[in-house]
Amino acid sequence: MCAVTLNQVPVGTTAKLSDTSAHPRRRRLAELGLRPGADVHVMRRTSGGGRVLGIGPSRMAVDRTTLDALLVEPPA
Amino acid sequence: MTAAPLDRTSGAPTRTPLIALVGNANVGKTTLFNQLSGARQQIGNWPGTTVEVARATWRLSSASGVLPLALVDLPGAASLNPTSPDEQLTRDLLVGTEEDHRPDVVVAVVDASNLARCLYLLAQLREHSQRLVVAMTMQDVAARQGVDVDADALAAAVGAPVVAVDPRQRRSAAVLADTVAELLHAPTPEPRARRVDESDPFAEDDDRFTWVQHAMAAVSVREGAGHDTWTDRIDRYATAPVLGPLIFLAVMWLVFQITTVVAAPLQDALDSFVSGPVSSAASTALGWLGLGGTPVEGFIVDGLIAGVGTLITFVPLMALMFVLLSLLETSGYLARAAVVTDRAMRAIGLPGRAFLPLVVGFGCNVPAISATRVLPDARQRILTSLLVPFTSCSARLTVFVLVGATFFGPNAGNVVFGMYVLSIALVIGIGFLLRSTLWRSMGADTMVIDLPAYHLPLPRQVGIMTWARVWAFLQTAGGIVVVTVAAVWVLSAVPAPGQQGSLADVPVEDSLFAATADAIAPAFEPAGFGDWHATSALIVGFIAKEAVISSWAQTYAAEEPADPTQPGELGEQLRADFAASSGGHTTAAVFAFLTFLLAYVPCVATLAAQRREIGTRWMLASLAISMSTAWALAVAVFQVGRLIS
Repeated sequence: MCAVTLNQVPVGTTAKLSDTSAHPRRRRLAELGLRPGADVHVMRRTSGGGRVLGIGPSRMAVDRTTLDALLVEPPA
Repeated sequence: MTAAPLDRTSGAPTRTPLIALVGNANVGKTTLFNQLSGARQQIGNWPGTTVEVARATWRLSSASGVLPLALVDLPGAASLNPTSPDEQLTRDLLVGTEEDHRPDVVVAVVDASNLARCLYLLAQLREHSQRLVVAMTMQDVAARQGVDVDADALAAAVGAPVVAVDPRQRRSAAVLADTVAELLHAPTPEPRARRVDESDPFAEDDDRFTWVQHAMAAVSVREGAGHDTWTDRIDRYATAPVLGPLIFLAVMWLVFQITTVVAAPLQDALDSFVSGPVSSAASTALGWLGLGGTPVEGFIVDGLIAGVGTLITFVPLMALMFVLLSLLETSGYLARAAVVTDRAMRAIGLPGRAFLPLVVGFGCNVPAISATRVLPDARQRILTSLLVPFTSCSARLTVFVLVGATFFGPNAGNVVFGMYVLSIALVIGIGFLLRSTLWRSMGADTMVIDLPAYHLPLPRQVGIMTWARVWAFLQTAGGIVVVTVAAVWVLSAVPAPGQQGSLADVPVEDSLFAATADAIAPAFEPAGFGDWHATSALIVGFIAKEAVISSWAQTYAAEEPADPTQPGELGEQLRADFAASSGGHTTAAVFAFLTFLLAYVPCVATLAAQRREIGTRWMLASLAISMSTAWALAVAVFQVGRLIS
C-alpha cells in the first residue's frame, strides 16, 4: 500500500486521515480535529498553494507543508 | 514563564470572587465579555508579560442585592497545551497557580456551530477540581447549518451547567449571571473520572477524545444538512488564488485611506483647535492671574498644552484604527487575509497577519504598533512592533520632499521613491537579522488557520472595544508624549551657560537646546552632517517628524515654505550648511541625512505606543535598534558616497 498525502487528494473530494505523525504540530492539529480517522473534505485551493479543508462543520486553511505531512487512506 | 497570580482583592476587605472567561479563538468570548462588562473595562498587558488581558467589574444583581465580581477575559486557547506565550498565560492562570489563586468560577465559552473542537479544552478543564459553567454561543449559526445542540444532554455529559448566550439578547446574560451566582455557593465539583494507561504517551489524549465523542451525543445534525453555508460561498472568492489577493489589496487600500486621508482633516482640526482657541484662552486666563508674558505662560501654553495637543491629534487616528481592527477581527475577514498573505510574508520570515500593521505603518507608525494586536503570538507581536518604525510614515514623506526638492530639483521624485524602497529593504533586512539572532527558536512555522463563519459586527461591540482601547492608549501614552514636548520647550527656553538672554526670552541659537544639539553634532561628523542645525532638526523630529521643517525654519530664522517642493530661502541656507559640514561632498551627506531620518526613532508617540503594547524594556530595545541602525547606515552611506562622488 503506497502512502497518499492530503496534497494528492483531488479538490472536491473527501479522504480519511491515516497518519499525522510527520507534522511538527501534530498535537495541535489533533486538538483542531485533524487526527487519524477524521474525514477531511478538501474544499478548494488557496492563493498560497494550500487548501481549505472541511472537518465536520469547521473550516481550516492549511499550507503545502502541512498537506505533505498528512497521510490519508488510499481511495477504496 | 511564571505569571503573577490573579489579583482579586486589591485591598478590599472582603474577597471579590474572580470569574474567568476561557475558550478557543473565534468563539465569541470577547463579545460575551463586552456584553457582561460594558464599556467600563481595563485592557492592559498582564504584569511581566506582553500578553493582553481585559478586566472589568461584573455587577451581579440578585434578590439579596448587587454582588461585584472580578471578571477577566483570558487569551484564547485551543487547549491547555500551550503553543504561544498567550496560551501559556491562560494555562498558568487556570491551573498553574496554587488552588486559592485560581478563579472561583470558570466560564468556558463554546461555539455551538463548532462544538467538537471546543470540547477538547473542556475535557482538560474538567480534569481539575474547578467550578465550571459552559456558555454556548452562535446557536444561530449552528441552526443555519442544520445543527441542534441539546443543552441539557450536553450539561449531563460535561458535568457542568450549560447556558445559551447571545450578544443581541440581554436576558441570556441574566441567565448566565444567575448560574454563576448559584455556583459560587456550590461545593467545588470533583474532577471527571479518567481511564489513562500511564505507559502509553498518547493515552491521555485518547481519553480526552473519547470523552469529547461521548459529549457530542448531545448534538443532532438535521438530515441532509448542507455544508455550503454562505460563509463557504464568500470564501470561494475571499481565499481564491487570484481573486483573494485582489480583494485583500482592496481592503488594505481602504484601511490605508481611512487611516491617512480620512484621519488627516480630523487631526488638523484638533491641532488648530488646541493651538488656536485653547492656547489663547489659556493665555488670557494666565493674563488675568498676572502671569501674561512670563515663563510660566510659556511653559503652560507652549510646553504642556502643546504636548497635550500632540497627544490629542492622535485620538481620531487611533479611534479609526481600532474601529477598523475590530471590524476586521469580528467579521472574520482577518483570518482570510492571513491565508492570502501567508506565503509572501513567510518568504520574509513573518506570519501573514503582520502585513496589516506594516501597511498601516506607511501611513503612521503609532496606530500600526497597535495593529500588531492582530497577531496571536506574543513573540510575533514583539518582532513586528520592532519592525514597524522602519516603515516610512507620511510625516517623513514631507521632509523627504523638501530635502529632495532642495538638493535634487527635478530628480526629487526618484529620491523619494528610493527612500521607500530602502524602507521596505530595512523591514525585510532587520526582520531577518532579528529572527536569526533573537528568535532562532521561532522557526519556519506551518500554517494552520481556522476560518470562522462570517459575522456582521455589532455596532455596540465595536464601540465598546474602540473606547476601551483609545482610553488605554491615552493612559499609557499620555505621560511620555506630554513630558517630552514640555522638556524640549524647557531646553529651548533656558539660555545656555555663558549666553545672554533670560528665561523664555532667548534666541534659539543661544539656548540650552542649541547647546545640546551642538554637543551631539560631532557624533554625526562621520555621516557628513555634524552641524547643529541638522542635529536640532533631528531632536525635534523625535517629537514629530513633520516638525523637522519648522525646526529648520526656526534655527535658520527663515520663512517656513508653504509648499515643501518650493524650499526658497531655507533651501539656500540648507545647501550652504550641508556643503560645509560634508567638506564638499554634499550629495553623499544629504543621502546620509535622509537615511538617518528614515531609520531613527519615528517619534515619541510611536515609543509610547510600543511601551503600551510590548512593555518598557522592548520599547528601549526598539530605540537602541533604530538609533544604531540609523547611525551605522548613515555613516556607511556618507563614507561610500564620498569615495565614489
